[in-house]
Amino acid sequence: MTTQEYPQFDTLVLGAGIAGLQTALDLAEQGFQVAIVERDPSIGGKMIRLSKVFPTLDCASCITTPKMAAAAHHPNITLFTYCELNGVERTGSGLKASVTQKPRYVDPDKCTGCRSCEYACPTFVPDHEQGGFTSRKAIYVPFSNAVPQKAVMDPENCWICGKDGGQCVQVCATDAINYFDKPEDFTLEARSMVLATGYELIPDYSEKAFGPASQHPNLITSLQMERLLAPHGPYMRALRPSDGKEPDSIAFIQCAGSRDLNLGVSYCSRVCCMYSIKQAMLLSGALPLADITIYYMDIRAFGKNYEQFFQNAKAMGVEFVKAKPMVIGGTEDGAVRLRYEDQEGGGGGMTREHDLVVQALAMVPAWNPEGVVDVSTATDGFIKSVKPKIAPTLTDMDGVFTAGVAAGPKDIVDTIVEAGAAAMEVSNYLNQEALVAAE
Amino acid sequence: MTAKGKDKTAEGEAKVAVYICHCGGNISDQVDVEKLEAMAKEFPGVTVARRDMFMCSDPGQNKIIEDLKSGAADRVVIASCSPSLHETTFRNAVMRAGVNPYMYEHANIREQCSWVHHGEAATRKAAGLVAAAVGKARHLKPLESIRMDAVDHVTVVGGGISGLKSARDLAMRGLKVTLIEKTPFLGGNVAQLDRLFPTNEPAAELLQEVVDEVRARPEIEVLTCAELTESEGYVGNFTLKVTRTPPTGEEECERLRTVEAAGAGEGRFVPFVGILPEAVPATEETREISTGAVVLATGFRHYSPPKGLYGYGEHPEVITLPDLIRLMAEKEDTGGMLEVNGRPIKSMAMIRCVGSRQIPGIHEPDENGNLNEHCSRACCTATLQADREIKEKYPETVIYDFYRDIRAYGRGHEEFYVGASQDGVLFLRFEPDGPPVVGPASDPDYALSVMAKDTLLSGQELDVPVDLVVLSVGMVPSDVSGLIDKMKLPVGADRFLLEVHPKLRPVELANTGVLLAGTCQAPMDSTEASEGATAAAVKAAALLAKGHVELDPYVATVNTELCEGTGACVAECPHPGCVTLVDAPEGKGKKAEINPALCTGCGMCVAVCPNVAIEVNGWTLRQYEAMVDAIVALPATKELVEA
Repeated sequence: MTTQEYPQFDTLVLGAGIAGLQTALDLAEQGFQVAIVERDPSIGGKMIRLSKVFPTLDCASCITTPKMAAAAHHPNITLFTYCELNGVERTGSGLKASVTQKPRYVDPDKCTGCRSCEYACPTFVPDHEQGGFTSRKAIYVPFSNAVPQKAVMDPENCWICGKDGGQCVQVCATDAINYFDKPEDFTLEARSMVLATGYELIPDYSEKAFGPASQHPNLITSLQMERLLAPHGPYMRALRPSDGKEPDSIAFIQCAGSRDLNLGVSYCSRVCCMYSIKQAMLLSGALPLADITIYYMDIRAFGKNYEQFFQNAKAMGVEFVKAKPMVIGGTEDGAVRLRYEDQEGGGGGMTREHDLVVQALAMVPAWNPEGVVDVSTATDGFIKSVKPKIAPTLTDMDGVFTAGVAAGPKDIVDTIVEAGAAAMEVSNYLNQEALVAAE
Repeated sequence: MTAKGKDKTAEGEAKVAVYICHCGGNISDQVDVEKLEAMAKEFPGVTVARRDMFMCSDPGQNKIIEDLKSGAADRVVIASCSPSLHETTFRNAVMRAGVNPYMYEHANIREQCSWVHHGEAATRKAAGLVAAAVGKARHLKPLESIRMDAVDHVTVVGGGISGLKSARDLAMRGLKVTLIEKTPFLGGNVAQLDRLFPTNEPAAELLQEVVDEVRARPEIEVLTCAELTESEGYVGNFTLKVTRTPPTGEEECERLRTVEAAGAGEGRFVPFVGILPEAVPATEETREISTGAVVLATGFRHYSPPKGLYGYGEHPEVITLPDLIRLMAEKEDTGGMLEVNGRPIKSMAMIRCVGSRQIPGIHEPDENGNLNEHCSRACCTATLQADREIKEKYPETVIYDFYRDIRAYGRGHEEFYVGASQDGVLFLRFEPDGPPVVGPASDPDYALSVMAKDTLLSGQELDVPVDLVVLSVGMVPSDVSGLIDKMKLPVGADRFLLEVHPKLRPVELANTGVLLAGTCQAPMDSTEASEGATAAAVKAAALLAKGHVELDPYVATVNTELCEGTGACVAECPHPGCVTLVDAPEGKGKKAEINPALCTGCGMCVAVCPNVAIEVNGWTLRQYEAMVDAIVALPATKELVEA
């Protein structure tokens, strides 16, 4: 696959989350040739890992999987999954990207995605795709909706279990497994590029803010809660991780790392209010008797139909408390203990316990362009826009654009619109460039 | 009614594959999908029945392709969500299997079933829907979509920032554009602003740049004082009538005088007016435009508070945020105190969420019974921006900012909140059922008093003396009821234009070829409106890039053997020119003829034909009969559930 030479693409899209996929589709539909380079073994990004999405409560898969399939089958789109971008340089005719295909240890041309290897593998590894709550194997198809449906081996955990190679090798009907697979470098040329590299949750906030109490097993992140609520989730039900009990009381801590100059980031992460309200709604459906509390600073339900969604949650009985709680420890029966200032009740410290506590952690950039692509980032770490009012997808490198959370936190609706906008800006760049060349 | 001349599809030969989607629990939590699968296997004609967690995913689609390719089936029924979401997805999958995409029938067992019924009733209804779809599928015939040439021209309605940005983007893409604007001016609501958050760049510069580009582009024709008066046709081939009328409105004439007085001439920005791109028309004129797509960028207007709300209209010291912005921009900066109507403003109150976030039972609907339940999104940061500007220019002015939530969500917005707090703005939170009350001053040194309860910490009753009250008014859609009627546009409960789906097709209307740009869809700030406009442009470009459009083949066809030329269909058809009577060959009288490009497949002609000589492709009477037969053949609910 990687030894192949590719003709010059019109656009290279970095990142195959919803932003990258939508940009690629909007370009491909106009006849442009698009390459998508994705770091993960599957396309789909964060969105495919979510449960349902606000404010329509559609399942995230219902929106993402068709776009993944459309991109995978589009004649004008070529996918490069499990690839790392090492550097981009400007050449006379555009951009030259040096890319490394990471070894899958499985030949994707031979693998049929039958999962026999996965079933045969005796090694269990905590499954990051399931928030670490369940296990996967050392050779595995990343998740049930993954595109491509191809196995990948994790050499850190494979111990070549059999005498004549692993059990996976013995069961693979197409001889797809290759222990000697190596990283392969290749170059892609493109006339333009779109950075759609998305976000991660802030990694160190919890530890900094709550110290040892941050290690409580029932203090989880918002993305872990997404997995608990997702149809392919770890328990197929909303249970708390420490003992599998149905939580009677669930709390959300908003602005965990956002709007926090001291321990986190100064900006608002923009989506946490709404996804916490959504998670609260889904939980009250799954656990009708549970008490649900959202501790917030301001409820930022600003988008179309968001305020109505928030008011519905209030009407459904979700409790909203204006406070920024501290996690101060746990109780014997596994609950998490919070302490906060009772602002609405005249001040004073309050202590409350909840069976399960979700931190709505801040979004931080998943990727830093430094040393790879010559674009600037702003003080918030996200990619800097040179025309933030009228064309926010323009970066300070000619022919390089950005879309989605790579250009600052935003929700799925705004991301999809921005991806469309990026595609338009790219099309116009390509057209103008062609006109100049013709002259 | 009985269909004469039954079609030749031999029911016995059709091989139907049924696929049932769990939709990740959306369906399977209510519908017993395993039972449904077992039942489907028994329906006449079904050769394969399968389930999948997500039929729309790649593995789900592959099941369909494998069954069609292997010959296990030659047509499919997919029981999942609404076809408005994924009909195209599944048609493409069927095509990839090398089968005609119309050999596919859809059963909506989510929106019409699991989301509205529970348990046994949901399973029962799903069984009925699937049985009917299978019944119809056995009579499906391959159809070809109708390919029509598309006009490489787009009409943009509205000359605010969204319309301008869309027009510019489309022109750069090589499409011809007509931009129509109701007033004599370009710039819309952005022209009513001074500086734009979060960059604080002047609105004038931004607008001037875009308008200069629009005016310089030979592909763009700008028509001011113009309104869309008629709309006909379909994607790729709309015919619009646009009427230009010399301005007569008092406000417009006043603004025209302002431009003249400013000596700015054509093409130059005039603050709080906009840009006059050309002389206004002297006489009324109507022209016809052939266009391939329409971008609606009709914008918003500010909520206008009723008399008495927070003292508005009763006390001259109560103004709106747009009033304040203009007042500040037009005031010469002489240092000292901010003065309004000769009164120095020692202290002032900002009141947020005026005409936004209204709650049934707490807020009064307006005279038309409307309540603005939506958040207006941009006013929070706009108010913070005003707070900061006042504090910067007049540091002695005390500002009390009454809010419900501070929604400084965007990139660079939170900095305004932090900054305003550091500047000493006093933020006071109120609950929707306990808003501040504006009344006569209790302190004679001030104009007014604002009474409020501090809901945080103290719970104290406050009496705040102020010289000015500024209402952060929300956004409501521009009055485009004429356009909505003419083009039959879908409108949401919030009265903004309604997109097909906020994530799948966020800038498209259900009317194919009609797109949404900016604040006609929902409140947005100017950045978001620009992005929405650019996203709408890319959809228009993709629609027209191929030079042709493909329309669904669900149009009426005439069986000339049965047609006796009664003309009943011609009289009934709501689309002029769609059905006509033409001379049949060999002098066999008149026969009806359909123009498929104009037919919407409404079926009114089918209903009135005395000879059952007209059918709608894909929805034939034989197919309907088969659906009814299949439903009737189902066992009664009790037996079904206990089976």
